Amino acid sequence: MKTIPPPCPTPETGPKYWRSLDQVSDTPAFRQWIEREFPSGASEMSDPVTRRNFVKLMSASFLLAGVGLTGCRRPTENIYPFSKMPEGYTHGLPKFYATAMPSRRSAIPLLAKSDDGRPTKLEGNPQHPDSNGGTDRFAQASILNLYDPDRSIRFAKNGGPATREAALDALDQVAKSAQANGGKGLSFLAEQSSSPSRERLQQALATKLPQAKWYEYEPVDFDIHREAASKAFGRPVSPYFKFDEAAVIVALDSDFIGGEEDLHVNIRRFAKGRRTQQAADSMSRLYAVEPLMTLTGANADHRLRAASGTIGAITALLASEVFKLTGANALSGSLDSLAKSAAGAEKFATECAKDLAANKGKSLVVVGHRQPLAVHLLAWAINSALGNVGQTVVLRDTAAPKAGSIAELAQSLGAGAVDTLVILGGNPVYNAPADVQWEQAQAKAKSVIRLGYYEDETFPKNGWGLPLAHYLESWGDARTSDGTVVPIQPLIEPLFGGLTELEVIARIAGLDKTAPYEIIRETFTAVGGGNDENWKKFLHDGFLAGSAAKAVGGLTLDSAAVSSALSGIETVSPTKDKLEVVFHRDYRVDDGRYVNNGWLQELPDPVTKMTWENVILLSVKTAKDLGVYLENTGNNDARGPWVKLQLDGREIEGPVWPQPGQADNVVALALGYGRTVTGRVGKNSGYNAAKLRTTKALHFATGGKLVASGKFHDVSLTQDHGAMEGRPIIREATLKEYRDHPKFASGFDMEKPPVFDSLYPNPLEPGKKSALHQWGMSIDLSACVGCSSCMIACQSENNVPIVGKNQVSKNREMHWIRIDRYYTGDPDKEDSIQVINQPMLCQHCEAAPCENVCPVNATAHDQEGLNVMVYNRCVGTRYCSNNCPYKVRRFNFFDYNRRPLEQLEGASVPGLGRVYPTPMLSRTDGESDLLRWWKDMDRGNLPDDQFELLKLVRNPQVSVRMRGVMEKCSYCLQRIEAAKIKQKVKAGATADVVVPDGTFKTACQQACPAEAIVFGNVADPASEVSKRKAQDRDYKVLDFLNTKPRTTYLARIRNPNPAMPAPYNYTTPNSTEEFEKANDANPFEGGESKEHGEPAHAKGEA
Amino acid sequence: MAQTVANIPVKAPPAGLEREPMVSNQRSPGWISDAIAGVIEGKTPVWWWRAFIPSIIMLTIMTGMILYLVSTGVGVWGPGHPVMWGWAIVNFVWWIGIGHAGTLISAILFLLRQKWRTSINRAAEAMTIFAVMCAGIYPLIHVGRVWFGWWLFPIPNDHDIWPQFRSPLMWDVFAVSTYFTVSVLFWYMGLIPDLAVMRDRASTKIRKFAYGFFALGWTGSNRHWSNYEKAYLILAGLSTPLVLSVHSIVSLDFSVSQLPGWHTTIFPPYFVAGAVFSGFGMVLSLLIPLRTLLNLEEIITLRHVELMCKVTLATGSIVGYAYGMEFFIAWYSGNPNERYTFIDRATGQYWWAYLTMVTCNVVVPQFFWFKRIRRNMLVVFILSIFVNIGMWFERFVIVVQSLHHDFIPANWGYFRPTWVDILTFLGTFGLFFTMFLLFLRFLPMIAIAEVKGVTPQADPHHPLGGAKPGGHH
Repeated sequence: MKTIPPPCPTPETGPKYWRSLDQVSDTPAFRQWIEREFPSGASEMSDPVTRRNFVKLMSASFLLAGVGLTGCRRPTENIYPFSKMPEGYTHGLPKFYATAMPSRRSAIPLLAKSDDGRPTKLEGNPQHPDSNGGTDRFAQASILNLYDPDRSIRFAKNGGPATREAALDALDQVAKSAQANGGKGLSFLAEQSSSPSRERLQQALATKLPQAKWYEYEPVDFDIHREAASKAFGRPVSPYFKFDEAAVIVALDSDFIGGEEDLHVNIRRFAKGRRTQQAADSMSRLYAVEPLMTLTGANADHRLRAASGTIGAITALLASEVFKLTGANALSGSLDSLAKSAAGAEKFATECAKDLAANKGKSLVVVGHRQPLAVHLLAWAINSALGNVGQTVVLRDTAAPKAGSIAELAQSLGAGAVDTLVILGGNPVYNAPADVQWEQAQAKAKSVIRLGYYEDETFPKNGWGLPLAHYLESWGDARTSDGTVVPIQPLIEPLFGGLTELEVIARIAGLDKTAPYEIIRETFTAVGGGNDENWKKFLHDGFLAGSAAKAVGGLTLDSAAVSSALSGIETVSPTKDKLEVVFHRDYRVDDGRYVNNGWLQELPDPVTKMTWENVILLSVKTAKDLGVYLENTGNNDARGPWVKLQLDGREIEGPVWPQPGQADNVVALALGYGRTVTGRVGKNSGYNAAKLRTTKALHFATGGKLVASGKFHDVSLTQDHGAMEGRPIIREATLKEYRDHPKFASGFDMEKPPVFDSLYPNPLEPGKKSALHQWGMSIDLSACVGCSSCMIACQSENNVPIVGKNQVSKNREMHWIRIDRYYTGDPDKEDSIQVINQPMLCQHCEAAPCENVCPVNATAHDQEGLNVMVYNRCVGTRYCSNNCPYKVRRFNFFDYNRRPLEQLEGASVPGLGRVYPTPMLSRTDGESDLLRWWKDMDRGNLPDDQFELLKLVRNPQVSVRMRGVMEKCSYCLQRIEAAKIKQKVKAGATADVVVPDGTFKTACQQACPAEAIVFGNVADPASEVSKRKAQDRDYKVLDFLNTKPRTTYLARIRNPNPAMPAPYNYTTPNSTEEFEKANDANPFEGGESKEHGEPAHAKGEA
Repeated sequence: MAQTVANIPVKAPPAGLEREPMVSNQRSPGWISDAIAGVIEGKTPVWWWRAFIPSIIMLTIMTGMILYLVSTGVGVWGPGHPVMWGWAIVNFVWWIGIGHAGTLISAILFLLRQKWRTSINRAAEAMTIFAVMCAGIYPLIHVGRVWFGWWLFPIPNDHDIWPQFRSPLMWDVFAVSTYFTVSVLFWYMGLIPDLAVMRDRASTKIRKFAYGFFALGWTGSNRHWSNYEKAYLILAGLSTPLVLSVHSIVSLDFSVSQLPGWHTTIFPPYFVAGAVFSGFGMVLSLLIPLRTLLNLEEIITLRHVELMCKVTLATGSIVGYAYGMEFFIAWYSGNPNERYTFIDRATGQYWWAYLTMVTCNVVVPQFFWFKRIRRNMLVVFILSIFVNIGMWFERFVIVVQSLHHDFIPANWGYFRPTWVDILTFLGTFGLFFTMFLLFLRFLPMIAIAEVKGVTPQADPHHPLGGAKPGGHH
């Protein structure tokens, strides 16, 4: 639902207030004055942030808006009356601005929603050539970081508060002394970036200060893809994988669905290749070879468990098989010796190779970022031999980064060669490899200038700590994975006067233009021309059309480079006593950057369903072998055995959790947790896996030893029961079964009880006749990969609170949409385990069981088929939840929105258990909570800084629920109503009041990169949702209860290779087999003829 | 006249058919009055204080727990997905069940001319009222927003919003409040002649005034007695369907839903039987110690206890039959979800609760087949406690076990109570015993007038009936 924003105001315009003639003339002197006057005032206000200070700050930043140092911020009306309203602004109507979220070497194009001047929701930019509007979970959650009360809010010198101007003076000082000696002794440590402006500044820096050094460090580094491609083809290129165009995909330790860069693009493309509309359609086949159970493995048709150290050998085996079949072995030297060490994988690899060779030019082999360069090169050799290069994988020109590594920097620091160390973002003290000993190294710099989003472990005691502006507060630019240039537009002035990376670099380089806006404007002139109209269009559209990097054709494999790398592949098979330790990017907090983000902390890991911490994952067999197995207890507040994990003389401690389907003797450690200095959300969360990492073995190492301590640790997960118990909840078939029995999904239907005329006719039925729309949803389980973006999108859109670890363990998480994850197959036969996902949300039953049991009429049906929840009327009997067969209703057991996490965690008192503080006795900010409640009932028990900031993130169109109230998915009622109103306004006197299909999307649908969720008017047979529901695969969950849900699912199709040998073979999915066994029924027999099995038609009735 | 009647010889029934008298030792009406009124008029016994002080403490704890709950949120209790009802509803149903015996004894047994009811009906009715009070607390405080609890009542309002009359919780509101009102009226009605006795015996002015006030000017005239008997009969007639309806409706909270383990038509009769079972269990638990402590063994005789044991045995067996029938239907229906729930009930994570329930409710009452056990007060007392425990577990199993493994396995969870749950439950005992002990101290715990009427000597045709030479004693 994008409203076309007016062109972004150019810096020269703004509200017509002025305070001096200088201001009107907009001289540099005035600019400097205003820049220094007010924000410095703000920075002088030391923490904690009080409401008064906050408002001061806001008004101070408003003044900046007047002179247009930033473009899009408009005045907040509680500071100045809107005597002159900005053009195109209607009070209460959100506005959308195009921006982008930068990631490591890429970016996610976004449309940011702004409500009364504050960004409240992020959505993908569907107009971007490489986007369908989907995003990943990180982008959805990143908006919460903007309003994080624990973020860096001050300028600090030697750990103490300082003023902004002093900080800027210090930067100028550094610039001056650097100018004097050509930058000698000046080193930069930055994160990766795709910003053309940063690239330009870096060049400028290199020219002006030739002696200055530039280093980059990312704890999770995807640059190896570029490095390998560049090496394989002898030219700086980066690969772009087209998963949608591949009929056969082999993922070698590559979690391209969950753990690589540009997830939203990968998922979109992968899902596109898997989606079928009718039985005759084809779909891609995915083979996964991986040590951990990842989302990619969960979505694979065949999966081979293999330790990371054997992936190289398996790749070699695959390569030799492929070369045999294609006869195109360009490599000198034999792969055989290497391939021999891949014992046990022969059959799997042979069939993979056959399948690949049969799909020349339509297949794809991808290797994950954790694998060494040689394995990547080998994969390039395979792709090359299969003729995939240029077909399913495109190589695009790119610039090789000119940066040293953190180890080199540490060496140089150790040698005393660094006087001034500038750290731009990142948190190396926390996440640098252990052997770098960064903390000591950093202390050796004479002075450290650190630009950081948090005052965290790296926050310097010797030098300057500068607050980093959030990307929604700063001007910037970036390139998406296809190379398209996108703008990063601020939607709000820096809340705490933070600086951007570009500004700091520009200042130190001593450039004339230091304002980020000017920097990127200048960069744009080079890329997109000096024309103002181009610039406006660039900002408006959110990308520069045609700026994608050129695909390079006709490149040939540099087989010599590949051959020479082969010797570098080592095969190490782990054993029980020498475990392989794998360090992986976490599905929730990434490398730790989101550890203080409550939405992501509470997002259950898509595979383990663990929340609020990382655990030590082992395969079921290994856990049993080591005597640390934990029986599935069925309790979400399960306890994991507490163990010590030793590797090369270093050790960490954490709880063990058995993960079905993980490779044996492999230990998986998620990065990003175990922070020592962090905010209120991230503290006491997990262990720090980086402590075991070394530069040599950054991604996996063998030789780990696990020592059980006999102690246990409470963990909180949202789903512990993994088996579907043979129930037809998720329905699956293989592509062959689907082709033979297109309507198989209804073959799973269970017998329905006879329906009699009710004493109480369903109130919906008469209402339906007068309604214009009938809303419904369809979810394609073949497309859904379980990435969980929808969960965060829903949380952001609908003001869904977080509840904390302890409350999760009591099954009180509030997510309106959850992803149910089931393991199917025998847990002891881990090779054949399959993982299936199902988004579960309010089904909006036409005959809703929740409605007739509510004694106060708080949940009712509207004429358009929505099961609506009236919060104001709810007294909280919770009967509706008990009677909801899908258990999608969520109850506010506490004032989750208005109580700090510590209060929700409670205190653990021996003998009693948890004791939650009562507001009658608790205190906040030194004042009794009872008194605070008396003074202002809406304020809650939150400390002021949290309260003031967190209320800004709320969607004003959705009420914030108080305690004692039931809540649930509303199908984004606010979006439906907005669309209806808009259509009515548009219709005017005409009768054209039916909202056209596709005008708006629900938050989950919008965020879904796989386009698995479709929402719309089921009364309109031409709507997308009606078309989906008319598909053969359509079915209702728990159809036999006659609840007539408006949310229906499309059964999942697997595409196994019939030639695959045991134990990887199957002719019917595990879940279907379990269903057949449990119910003594065969869904493929006569499913079509069953009367009750007919798929729902467009009208949405049953 | 009495002398004339006494002169007609009436043969005693043959030995073996002779029933044990309702009041043993041929006690005279005067002795009965003294014995019952003496409980109130005598010095407060030490055991009373020993019972009362802990009760008051527990009542205070309950009040504290409710304050904590209301100020902090329902989260201080154990519920969470998918078990949204925990101990609150378990305790509600349990207390309501206990509240069944009193009205059953006073109304149904009255209509069925079961004269033995007179010795126990007053105390049982008092127990009912206090148990319903304990029960009534829970539905109110378990809701998320207690301060809006009154929205469940059909009060006309500006928004024209009415309660949802299709909801069983709504029916509960009516059923329980009606039951409570009628029970209180019935109890009070029955008290009037005895209040007058207390008034007439009162030695202080305050007592005289207080009892006199509530005795409503009772003089014991024929007209009073005639009106009283009619009114009592009418109220008994009114109460009888309520005894059956209250727990039937409470059971509909479950059976109207569609959850396997809840959704079953057997619930109304099964719940009523269970309620009577638990009610008699509680009456036994209360009266067996009291008859000794208050020296009322001659009025609450072994025969009374034995009869109550028999009712317990009968209703316990009905309950046992229902347990079996549930399993049969789960198998016979062919519904896999239903079948799963019942297999899980017996063998799943809550097997211990199910085992406790079956042991206490089905196995334990079987001891009452034996007369020797029925007449052993210590054993009966212990068994009656087991009945109470068993019935609590029955409600626990129904509420918690059915919910914890429902339709969608992804959602399954395990319910554990918190310390607040436990203390609140214990606290309601404080309320119950405080009320009951005060009742013992201030109101005649046995219907004086009625007991006199069922003594053998009250029957003019009985050999012992009629006035005796030598006066009262």
